[in-house]
Amino acid sequence: MSEVVIAIDGLGKRYRLLRRHRPDSLKTWLRALAWRAVPGQVEEARDEEFWALRDFSLQVRQGECVAVVGRNGSGKSTLLKILSRVIPPTTGWARVRGRVASLLEVGTGFHPELTGRENIFLNASMLGCPEQQIRGRFDSIVDFSGVERFLDTPVKHYSSGMYMRLAYAVAAHVDADILIIDEVLAVGDDEFRKKCLGHLTLSLSQGRSAIVVSHNLSVVRSLASHVAWLQDGRLFQFGSVDSEILHNYAA
Amino acid sequence: MLKADLRIDGKSPTWRAYRQELYAFRDVAWMLIRRDLIVRFRQTYFGLAWLLFKPMTLMFAMMFAFGFLAGFDTTYSVPYPLVIFCGVIPWYFFSNALPDSMNSLVGHMHIIQKTYFPRAIIPLTVIVVDAFEFFFAWLLFIFGCLWFDYRPGWECLFFPLFCLQLFMLCTAIGLFLAIANLRFRDVGNLVPFLLTIGFFVTPVGYTLSRIPENWQFFYALNPLVGIIEGFRWSLLGGLNGFPLIPVMLSLFFTSTLGFIAMRHMIRVDPLVVDMA
Repeated sequence: MSEVVIAIDGLGKRYRLLRRHRPDSLKTWLRALAWRAVPGQVEEARDEEFWALRDFSLQVRQGECVAVVGRNGSGKSTLLKILSRVIPPTTGWARVRGRVASLLEVGTGFHPELTGRENIFLNASMLGCPEQQIRGRFDSIVDFSGVERFLDTPVKHYSSGMYMRLAYAVAAHVDADILIIDEVLAVGDDEFRKKCLGHLTLSLSQGRSAIVVSHNLSVVRSLASHVAWLQDGRLFQFGSVDSEILHNYAA
Repeated sequence: MLKADLRIDGKSPTWRAYRQELYAFRDVAWMLIRRDLIVRFRQTYFGLAWLLFKPMTLMFAMMFAFGFLAGFDTTYSVPYPLVIFCGVIPWYFFSNALPDSMNSLVGHMHIIQKTYFPRAIIPLTVIVVDAFEFFFAWLLFIFGCLWFDYRPGWECLFFPLFCLQLFMLCTAIGLFLAIANLRFRDVGNLVPFLLTIGFFVTPVGYTLSRIPENWQFFYALNPLVGIIEGFRWSLLGGLNGFPLIPVMLSLFFTSTLGFIAMRHMIRVDPLVVDMA
């Protein structure tokens, strides 16, 4: 059996739904401080709790691709955000082995005033890709995106399609052991989407691992080796992509 | 080579781990600095000239207010514009770097919500960009020296130290403001107001020697006093003696606040998105 690259144990994320006393100003915060100084007067007790993710455990082995499915608000994005270290978990932990690239969005950090060329480097650095490595893959990125002619034009003049292609091209060329992907395959026209899928399948076949969130079941079938079905923040079912889970989910 | 495991449990990193991560993500810092420098001057007709124009105009305004109206300029042994430059250039940097770093985390929320790198990078790079402008503005002082045929003495060797102290002070306050601004947008209203007041209790257009002797200690509790008077001592050696007490007070304030600010930043690093 291959090595476990992502181990998740008891991961949970709690949000407080602050009903009356939203500490959104200095005044309410100071008042809360004053309340806390008085024993037995805990202001926070009035807050309602909401677990976006609860007691979630999972293991991903090298070369596996786990697709996370579930309805809106079932905790998929929360999970990916925690794994990307954007937000901290309230309970539990996750351990990740190897270099991680999070694609919660394509084109993170793109600045409209910068040219396509400048944005490639900026975006790549944010995905954790060293500048040297991007230099080596620059031609390939440009080729993939098909925006060669506009490389030195500020991206504010790009069409939204061109923008997305360039953004995805960078994401696709980031070399990482583990990919965390949130719905980013929904870009461009059919042809470009196929190209992206093909690229992703290829990089997965080279021993990379991935956690992918997608609502598109045909994408899930073609990419994933396993499926995790989330319901109300909990792992409802987990199993191989060939098992009944997807069938049940689609129903 | 396999990198060590990364454990994600929402705990704040240690100093050591944070330092390593800052180093690991240095590319991001460099790219953000480059981005800001490019964006600031692209599509501007006068480009870098703006960096000289603004402090220059401030200097003239202060010559008018303090020199012409209040008649301070007759009492200095050094050309008055040079005295003012030593105050205006650090002040100009300070009054830009504070709001800039204060707004930095909130302004980069769209990036912070989508990817991780040590959050301290954002306020730090913003200050570095302002520091570029700061160094560039000293050209004005050099032009002034040529114009008035003035030569700084050996004390100018200490110039970099006061720059360092100024940057540390800005970083310390800037980190605090950036974090505070995440939750309490009140600081966004407060800071410009405090800066306006700060201008008058900081020796920008006048010097420490203008303050009655028995009030100088309290006046020097403002950490900028030691720094600006330090610049004056280092570049205009003949003007005053080394302002020991103000510099020490400022150094104490800067290092204490800097230490607390960095510790606070490391502590809240994982919480930045949730705090907003």
